[in-house]
Formats: sequence, C-alpha cells, structure tokens
Amino acid sequence: MNPHDEARLIAAARKGDSRAYAALVDAHQQAVRGFLRRFAGHWADADDLAQEAFVTAWRKLPRFEGRSSFRSWVSGIGFRIARDARRAHGRAQVRDSVWQSEQEAAEEGSPLEDRIAVQRAMEALPDEQRAVVALCLGEGFSHSEAAEILKLPLGTVKSHVTRGRERLLRALEPNNGR
Amino acid sequence: MDAEARLAAALGGNTAPARDPSFTLAVIRAAEADRFKVETTRAMLSAGAIAAAAAVLALSLAGWGALNWAGVQNGILGAAGIFALVATARLMTQRLAAATSR
Repeated sequence: MNPHDEARLIAAARKGDSRAYAALVDAHQQAVRGFLRRFAGHWADADDLAQEAFVTAWRKLPRFEGRSSFRSWVSGIGFRIARDARRAHGRAQVRDSVWQSEQEAAEEGSPLEDRIAVQRAMEALPDEQRAVVALCLGEGFSHSEAAEILKLPLGTVKSHVTRGRERLLRALEPNNGR
Repeated sequence: MDAEARLAAALGGNTAPARDPSFTLAVIRAAEADRFKVETTRAMLSAGAIAAAAAVLALSLAGWGALNWAGVQNGILGAAGIFALVATARLMTQRLAAATSR
C-alpha cells in the first residue's frame, strides 16, 4: 500500500469508516501478527494481542500524528500490550506457551530442532532485545523503525540486534547444551 | 546450510498469512463492540448528569418555594395576570385582523 492510499484510509477511518479501517488492518496484519508471534512465543495469544492492538489503535486513531508509519505505530501499541500481558501472566504461563508452540512448530515441516532451539533462545532474551530481534530479523523492520516502535535509542537497537543474533546463532551450534 | 541461513529459516517460520479476512473481521467486530460500549457509557453518563442537575434544580426551587410561600403566591398571581393580559390582547388583535380583512 502506498503512503497516499494509507493516508486516505487513515483519514476515512478517523471519521468512523470501518471499511477503511478494515483495509488498513488487512494490509498490516501480517507484519503486526508476525512480530507479536515471535515476541510473545505463542501463536494464539499473539493473535489475541494483535487484535487488541488493532482495536486500541482504532480507539486512538484521532491521536495518530503520522510521524511514523501506521504499521510501526500499531506494532508499538502491540509491543506495550504484549509486554504488560507477559508481566501479568508470569513465567509459568510462558513455559506452557513455549511447549504448546513447539507442538505447533512440529506441524510446520521446517527444521524442527532449529525452530525449537531458536524459540527457546528467543524466550531467554530480555524483553527489549527479543522485541528488536523479532522486528528487525523476523519481520524486516529497519533499525530506525524498531527504535521508533520500542522508544529506544538507535544505538541500543543496533547493539540488541548484534547481541541477539549472536545468542540465537549460538543456540544453533551443536553441543549447545540440548 | 550455514548457521545464518538456518537462523533465517527458523525465524521465518512464524509468519502470519498475507491475507486473513477472518482476522480482519474479528478486529472490526471487536472495534465496533468497543465503540458501541464507549458511546453507550458516554450517553448514560450525560443523561445521568442532566437528570441529576434537573433534580437538584427542582429540589432547590421547591425548598425556596416552601420558605417564601407568600412570594411564590404573589409570583403565581402576577404570572396569571400577565398571561390573562397577553391572552386578551392576542384575542382582540385576532378579531381586529379578522374584521379588517372582511
């Protein structure tokens, strides 16, 4: 979707046009859900969080200033919702969700051991670092977009990407404790 | 396959579908329900505020009327007198207009 079309749809959605908002959701759901799936770990939970992010964005749309793209803005809302939900649910729930996601990953047909190792390594990353890795390495957001979404300095984002990638690569090495 | 490619493949698995009408529909339904809830709450609050203000006004008027009953009686008589005068004037004007139009 080009920026002109996006601006037109945002303007219409601000006036209450739910069809225009549906077009925005349709265009950006893949990036937001993909990011939250990698950040939250569990697919079903992540999709619920993504839905909540889009509903919150609809409510806050009159306050959207357009300084970042709509995709970045909704991803930022999703990140804050997911981070708060993680804090509320605690570690036990996270462990359960990792197990469940491993079962889902097993049905995908791609290298299962790698997926599980990467997912476990992702779970072990600090929240901000995991979010940066999910955005930049998983969804292809630029470093500056990730900095805007997570409200972090650009240098911090770059160092999170480097360190996060190193830790994930280490998890794929043989004899890494598995 | 080298480690970078394996990492890219492992990270690339968690993608959502490019088009998912059921997700979009669920978002729009939830958004509409949210908007309805907000608007209903706002309408109820404003109606409640108006009702409370009207009740306070009516109570204070009743209290003032009880304390100044003689004044209220004079006011009612005065208002009735003015009403009677206006009604008479309107009646006479209408008759005059009817008489001149014949």
